[in-house]
Amino acid sequence: MSCKLVRRHMGAYVDGELDPATQIEFERHVDTCVRCQEELAFETSMREQTREALGGVEAPDDLWGRVLNRLDEIDEARLDVGVAQARPMRWKQAWPIAAAAGALLVLGGVVGLPEGTTYQGASMGTLQDVVNLHSQRLPSDVEASEPGQVATYFRGKTPFPVRPAQFEGANGAQLAGARYIRVGNKPAAALYYNYGGRRMTLLVFRDPDMVNSAERTHVGGRELYYYNVGNQVVPIRQVRGINYAFFGDLEKPQLMELAASARVGQ
Amino acid sequence: MPKSARKTAHERRHFEADTRPHLDNLYSAALRLTRSQVDAEDLVQDTLVRAYRFYDRFEAGTNFKAWLLRIQMNTFVNRYRRAVREREVLDGPMAMPVGEGVMSRATMRGLTDPEGDAQRKLVAREIAHAFDQLSEDARAMVLLADVEELSYKEIAEIVGCPIGTVMSRLHRARKQLQLSLHSQARQLGIVVEDAEDASGEPVSLEEFRTRKAAQS
Repeated sequence: MSCKLVRRHMGAYVDGELDPATQIEFERHVDTCVRCQEELAFETSMREQTREALGGVEAPDDLWGRVLNRLDEIDEARLDVGVAQARPMRWKQAWPIAAAAGALLVLGGVVGLPEGTTYQGASMGTLQDVVNLHSQRLPSDVEASEPGQVATYFRGKTPFPVRPAQFEGANGAQLAGARYIRVGNKPAAALYYNYGGRRMTLLVFRDPDMVNSAERTHVGGRELYYYNVGNQVVPIRQVRGINYAFFGDLEKPQLMELAASARVGQ
Repeated sequence: MPKSARKTAHERRHFEADTRPHLDNLYSAALRLTRSQVDAEDLVQDTLVRAYRFYDRFEAGTNFKAWLLRIQMNTFVNRYRRAVREREVLDGPMAMPVGEGVMSRATMRGLTDPEGDAQRKLVAREIAHAFDQLSEDARAMVLLADVEELSYKEIAEIVGCPIGTVMSRLHRARKQLQLSLHSQARQLGIVVEDAEDASGEPVSLEEFRTRKAAQS
């Protein structure tokens, strides 16, 4: 076998795809040819380095949970079971992460939610999302302090424009990054802020009915909705059907004030 | 037609157990194909939904990972390709002539034995970079063969072409990857060009044909 032919078979040899006869001829040549030995070493090394460089990316933590959600939907359709019955199971499976478990316990002691409304279940799910999202500390898809950059990132990804809330003054909360997530099956934006060394997560999603069963108050002359979650609060601002739900490692009055002072939807 | 609850639960359990070990592979490949985390996550979800729907068509005893990747490639082609294709230029690296040997021995040595971890990481990053420059077809070839280590037969089934075509397309894709890597590595100073490369030893296919035509 000539050098030229050996080079041509190099890839298939490393892949273990040569037929036995050709392989024997190939090896007979390489045994005595230094240049082809070098080529072979290179080919083998490249293969290994390519695998290392391109493979081995781990799927995001919540991907499997979201896959299971979709499979639940198929199962439901197959079994012809009503959605209402299956929903509680869906939420449980959506958040298999240990970190979220604590947050779910906190939600067990929800107070102040009006009862008996049909909408409550879905609102609660969304609230869980905000709380979980904050405690999971999922990495940002985009790290940016410019609202414009973040808005651009979400263009075409969410069916509504994402306009990060802005806060007045040098002491206001600073935008740090954002991540695309799904709330139930709806696309949403999670915006991460820093506020004096503490973290705040702002979830932006479309759901005009979200505020129907929320508490309502006025802070600093501005209308503010909120849900009490355990001893924490999730303030919500709504602009043209888009909700801005705040959650953070902050004292209750502080978070309420921050939410009220935010410029949203601009 | 509604299935019985028991059968569904049984199938579901099996499907999850079969699928879970390949989630990282699927995501990895999806990320390389779509070049976007959001698209990759959507692609994997859509892939597994389809796989679940057609789970009863999987032939027991064959490679399950290859089966999943096949569904993922099809899903990618059907749903995501249009958007991606727009970004690709026809006269990209695919149009470049590919020589038999694209690198000198010194270059090969520089890339074969990166000195230390830092250098190794640098080479890895450059490979990922070079990979992104490849055509969609070449990327699929490299992913399926080099990263997922599927057999030529499995790849042939996935891309829908004869095994011989897999071989030549794979050969071409790897040479393109090397070519792209080579120019980047040279720019970064990972490898130093020596006299060998200037000697004109690597001959482009076009040049080879021209010479051959002149001889006959």
